[in-house]
Amino acid sequence: MRTGLTSSVILHTVALAFGLFTLSSPPAMPAADVESVAVDIVPMEAVPQTLQGDKKSVMHEKPAPLPTKRPDVVPNAQKVGENTVDTDKPVTDEAKPKPVEKTAAPPPAPTPTEKPAVEDVPKPQEKPKPIPATEVAPTPAPKEEVKPEPVKQTDPKPTPAKEPTPAPTKDTTAAIQKEEVKPDAVAEAISQDQPTDEAKLPDSAPAPQARPKPQPAQAESAKAPDRKDADKPVKEASSKPKSDDKQFNADEISALLDKQKPSGGGAKRSTQQASLGGEKDQGQKLSKSEEGALRDQLAGCWTFPAGMEATNDLIAVISFNLDASGKLDGLPVVEKSSGNRQVDESAVRAIQKCNMAGLQVPAGKQDIWAQIKVTFDPREMLGL
Amino acid sequence: MENIALAEPGAHLSIWALFMQAGWVVKLVMIGLLCASIWTWAIIIDKLVAFSRMRLALNRFEQVFWSGQSLEDLYRTLADRKTTGMGAIFVAAMREWKKSFEKGAKSPLALQTRIDKAMDLALTREMERLEGRLGFLATTGSAAPFIGLFGTVIGIMTSFQAIAASKNTSLSVVAPGIAEALLATAIGLLAAIPAVIAYNKLSSDANKLGVRMEGFSDEFSAILSRQIDEKVAQKV
Repeated sequence: MRTGLTSSVILHTVALAFGLFTLSSPPAMPAADVESVAVDIVPMEAVPQTLQGDKKSVMHEKPAPLPTKRPDVVPNAQKVGENTVDTDKPVTDEAKPKPVEKTAAPPPAPTPTEKPAVEDVPKPQEKPKPIPATEVAPTPAPKEEVKPEPVKQTDPKPTPAKEPTPAPTKDTTAAIQKEEVKPDAVAEAISQDQPTDEAKLPDSAPAPQARPKPQPAQAESAKAPDRKDADKPVKEASSKPKSDDKQFNADEISALLDKQKPSGGGAKRSTQQASLGGEKDQGQKLSKSEEGALRDQLAGCWTFPAGMEATNDLIAVISFNLDASGKLDGLPVVEKSSGNRQVDESAVRAIQKCNMAGLQVPAGKQDIWAQIKVTFDPREMLGL
Repeated sequence: MENIALAEPGAHLSIWALFMQAGWVVKLVMIGLLCASIWTWAIIIDKLVAFSRMRLALNRFEQVFWSGQSLEDLYRTLADRKTTGMGAIFVAAMREWKKSFEKGAKSPLALQTRIDKAMDLALTREMERLEGRLGFLATTGSAAPFIGLFGTVIGIMTSFQAIAASKNTSLSVVAPGIAEALLATAIGLLAAIPAVIAYNKLSSDANKLGVRMEGFSDEFSAILSRQIDEKVAQKV
């Protein structure tokens, strides 16, 4: 037994010594510094209510969309974009922005005839090609614009603008013919351009000071027509004189033409740092006053079932959809019944009745009132 | 648990350091397990040696026994020696035989019974010697893991108490205590695994040796019984 014990003790001592030396302090595991990710918990109802902004930005007190890149701000713009004027139209790339601007910039002076010549003559030579193929047919463009007769901004002003233009056109043709063969269309276009300039001046800025400011605006707004001008001279070089005769009323056209440069919808609105938000406004709510106005309209249409006593629990929630024109789309749906079928149906009828009369809904917030949920509470709405 | 000491973060994590920073219960458990392990290995070594010696002795005895040598001579050579295994059984039987015949025993049946009893006794004694202390291996094999686990549980309990006291749950605070506690289980397993394996092997070996000796005792009993019959016939 002694041999066993001694050998066992020796064995253990050796093993322990070995273990102490080899198993001592395992190397520290290198832990990479991992940046912690901050996670916010957002209530579900906040998701459909995101406002336009920057997804990566921090939440600011005041929601603000991405700041527009160009510095100038249109004071009461509703849309967001890079335009100088508030409009819905998408951006179209300009073939050659700079030369046009420069040429257009000087002309704003009163004599339209002279400048067109200056403008047009150089251009066709210089850049016949850059003109996009889509614009080759110049006629459709004016036609389109003809239909929306109420060209809002031009309408008020064209009257002054028109009178000057016709005369110039004739003059120009005469004058031009002497000098060179000048396309009438060009002349017209030019004449159009200039009226627009004049017409716009008041729009974008107070009338008297207009000149400095309108010029950039004109330059941009004038580009589209310019291209057409450019097209025409090339093709219609010979037929220019006739074009005048073709009941072409330059005045009207100038009145009808949309002088705005078709470009990115909306004017710039925000110069602030973008706030946290989505790509689009999704979940604006009707303001309390708008909601109240709607409720009042519905209350006016609501006939509470006769003989029923309005109690607290007779509250029905009805949801309904409105189409773009504010008309009822589909049937109202009883979201939460009051427990009384007559009351529910009377509420549905109220909506339908109001719809017949025409629901007044706040303009421009179609997204918001496309689907409405109204709580019909007899006490609140009817004062019962 | 008077010393709820917190292992300072980044403490030394060598085995010795782990042992030293453990609580006294855990230390006790670890020391006990170490002792058990030492004793287990002592038994294992001892038994391995003893069994191989026994196997050798059996082989040699069988060789001698079946060599045709007279039983009297064999008995004379073995009687004054310290015998083990078959030798001990043989000596016990022969002693009984001699005593009975020297005194002129009358009943051969009684003699046979006596000789068998003596051989059984010798066999049992031999088996006891073979299997002695194997029980400790069995106990260690089954209990050491639990003892180690006990140490671990106590150690983890202590370290959690320390964590609660420090109000810091960073891994560098938590880990040393747990590592130290787990050391107890490791030592328990270290003692238990060889014990279990050795127990299984040694007990089966002892069993084989026992069967071999039993076979010899039966055989020898048969030989003696034949001898008794012959003697009785001669007398008659």
